[in-house]
Amino acid sequence: MNSRNPEFTPVDESLFNRVLLTLDIAVLERNEDGSAFHLRGLPPKWWHLCFGLAEATTLDSNRCSPFLREYLMNPHPVWENKTGEIERSGPWTESQEQGGTMTLEATALSVGSKNLLLIERLGSHFEHMRDIVQRARERMLTEDITTKSYRKTQTRLIGQLEASERTKDDALALLQHLGITALVLDERGYVTFVSDRALEMLGLGSNDVVGQKLERVIPFQEQDRQLVQHQLDGSSRTGSGGPFRLDRARPQWVEVEIHRDPRHPDRRIMVLHDRTEIHALRQALNEQASFHDLVGKSPAMLRVYQLVRDVAQVDTTVLIEGETGTGKELIARAIHFSSARKHKPFIAANCAGLTDSILTSQLFGHKRGAFTGAVNDQQGLFEAAEGGTLFLDEIGDIPSPVQTALLRVLQEKEITRLGEAKPRKVDVRVVAATHHNLSEDVVRGSFRADLLYRIRIARVQLPPLRERREDIPLLAQSFLGQICTATGKTIERLNPDTLRLLMSHAWPGNVRELKSAIEFAVISCKAKEVLPIDLPPEIISAPVVPSSSVWIPLPNRDEKSRFLAALSDAKGNRTEAAKRLGISRATFYRRLVELNIDSR
Amino acid sequence: MMQKKICMLGSFAVGKTSLVRRFVSNVFSDHYHTTIGVTVEKKSVTVNDHEIVLMLWDLYGEDEFQKVRDSYLRGSAGYILVMDGTRKATVDTALALQQTAARTVGTVPFVSIINKSDVRSEWEIDERTIEQLRERGWPVLFGSAKLGQGVEELFALLATQMVSAPSCPRD
Repeated sequence: MNSRNPEFTPVDESLFNRVLLTLDIAVLERNEDGSAFHLRGLPPKWWHLCFGLAEATTLDSNRCSPFLREYLMNPHPVWENKTGEIERSGPWTESQEQGGTMTLEATALSVGSKNLLLIERLGSHFEHMRDIVQRARERMLTEDITTKSYRKTQTRLIGQLEASERTKDDALALLQHLGITALVLDERGYVTFVSDRALEMLGLGSNDVVGQKLERVIPFQEQDRQLVQHQLDGSSRTGSGGPFRLDRARPQWVEVEIHRDPRHPDRRIMVLHDRTEIHALRQALNEQASFHDLVGKSPAMLRVYQLVRDVAQVDTTVLIEGETGTGKELIARAIHFSSARKHKPFIAANCAGLTDSILTSQLFGHKRGAFTGAVNDQQGLFEAAEGGTLFLDEIGDIPSPVQTALLRVLQEKEITRLGEAKPRKVDVRVVAATHHNLSEDVVRGSFRADLLYRIRIARVQLPPLRERREDIPLLAQSFLGQICTATGKTIERLNPDTLRLLMSHAWPGNVRELKSAIEFAVISCKAKEVLPIDLPPEIISAPVVPSSSVWIPLPNRDEKSRFLAALSDAKGNRTEAAKRLGISRATFYRRLVELNIDSR
Repeated sequence: MMQKKICMLGSFAVGKTSLVRRFVSNVFSDHYHTTIGVTVEKKSVTVNDHEIVLMLWDLYGEDEFQKVRDSYLRGSAGYILVMDGTRKATVDTALALQQTAARTVGTVPFVSIINKSDVRSEWEIDERTIEQLRERGWPVLFGSAKLGQGVEELFALLATQMVSAPSCPRD
């Protein structure tokens, strides 16, 4: 600033200066050619910090900052066009001569013919505005960081969720693939998840199961439901029970496994195992092990059961052959109760040791006065068995006259009561049994051949017990249960040594003898198991029968050799030979014929 | 001596002032201090044996509060577009500012830099975006005012381009 501009003369210089000092601005006037700017009035106090001494009245462009210098050099329409408008430079930062900075802003304007430049130091208002902007931007940056953090977390969580979903899908696919029948129950017992296999088993849709109480979904029987609920309420980590029957159109059997949900101790995972097939198989097995009142699952007995079923389908007479005590009457009953006649009477008659008149009267009935003591008309067993089955045991012992009468009944299907002349029609199926070899009896002339052929239309041969020893444990256990129930004793089992003795005995009296032995043992037994000492003395003291010689079936050639050897040892005595072989005399005879051995 | 006006352009808080201070004074402050208006710094550099004075116009960052005045850009011989690698939105601001600059000062050399390469793992600006900028003909550098990485190279590249440019507005 070199000199004061004489053209600029304010009306009241002191007032003008006071105004300038109050506003804290510098006023400069631009000369005509724009080459210099002259200070008008007193400069503000800060002026000398940037632009040198206050006494200088002309702005030294060399002392100006690059920003102001450029602003001054640039053309400004407001000065050229005299529009009366103003033009602001915008803030800039000016360095002070003693260090530090201040923020200034220039304003170009025209007043009349004069071009003016105002330079203002931006003070507290500007600093306030700067603070606001600073805070606003800091806030934006912070929010940006927060947003990014949220976004990162969101991305991470979405990733985790997707991974979790994938894991869940994989686990579910695996579960479905494995065909596990599973349900998940919440703490209130409502189903929250059900596998496809479970839906298939229950025959329900997902909507019918999820959200429902367990008892509405699985039709347990009341007692089973309580057992399952007890397991569900239990505190153990895992438990199982069953099989339980499900009440459905087609009954199902399930075993139930209950696990505590490892994620939520109050929730339960229920796994159902369909045991319907196993149950059916077990039932079939049980049925195989017993048939009506017959017990045994040896191949020989299974063949007998099948034969009985076959025979029951037809209405012919049947001959049951077997040693005494093998259960011939049980077979007869089984035939009857498997046949179409099962709702009609089953009458059993033992023909052994009766005279022909008594037997005739028993079988065919009599008229009052037919013989001494016949005080009333009496129907016979044939009439009593009308529509059903008449079992004639020991038919080989029937006297010859009765055989003739019986043949007539079988042929004509009519009987004539003793003392009557008029025959009566009867509809009776005859099942006969004998421990004789009737073929031999026919040869000997003690049994009518035509009757034999008439009654032997169907034949069931019952094996002796020694030929089906594998049934002995089953039979013994069955008898033990029956006898304990009847006697009220609590004997749980047979001692293994006891069983060994039972297995090695010859059992000439067959199943009947076995049953008697168990009855004897139960009476003797003082413990929870039957000991060898409890058995009848003849079983304890009997020599152990060499297993290979007695109860393991041998091919025919070997059996023939054994029979011949036994006959030779017994010097041709058949009874003695049969005893040596551990079989009955009748069986011995029968086998001699079958093996084509001439023993004479 | 040749003087060249260079404008530092970019969104707020991308590091314009930090780059200038690192270049001129080799200092850096982690504290963010917003620029209001313009601060002009000078630094002499030698390019192809020619010493030139770079007048570095550190303009305030553009955002919804402040738009860059065209008057600040006038007379620029070149400009630097600064972006913040951790904020993808600063690319959009740089694109808008480049158009403003081209409209105001015409075709003059410019260089872009993606600042804050010291926190590269936090960058939002991906390779595809960088590739798209390069496809536009932008020289894109990476740097860190905090570490001083790429700063000298940034100004040297622009100075070289300005010296080589056919028209020099203010020699």
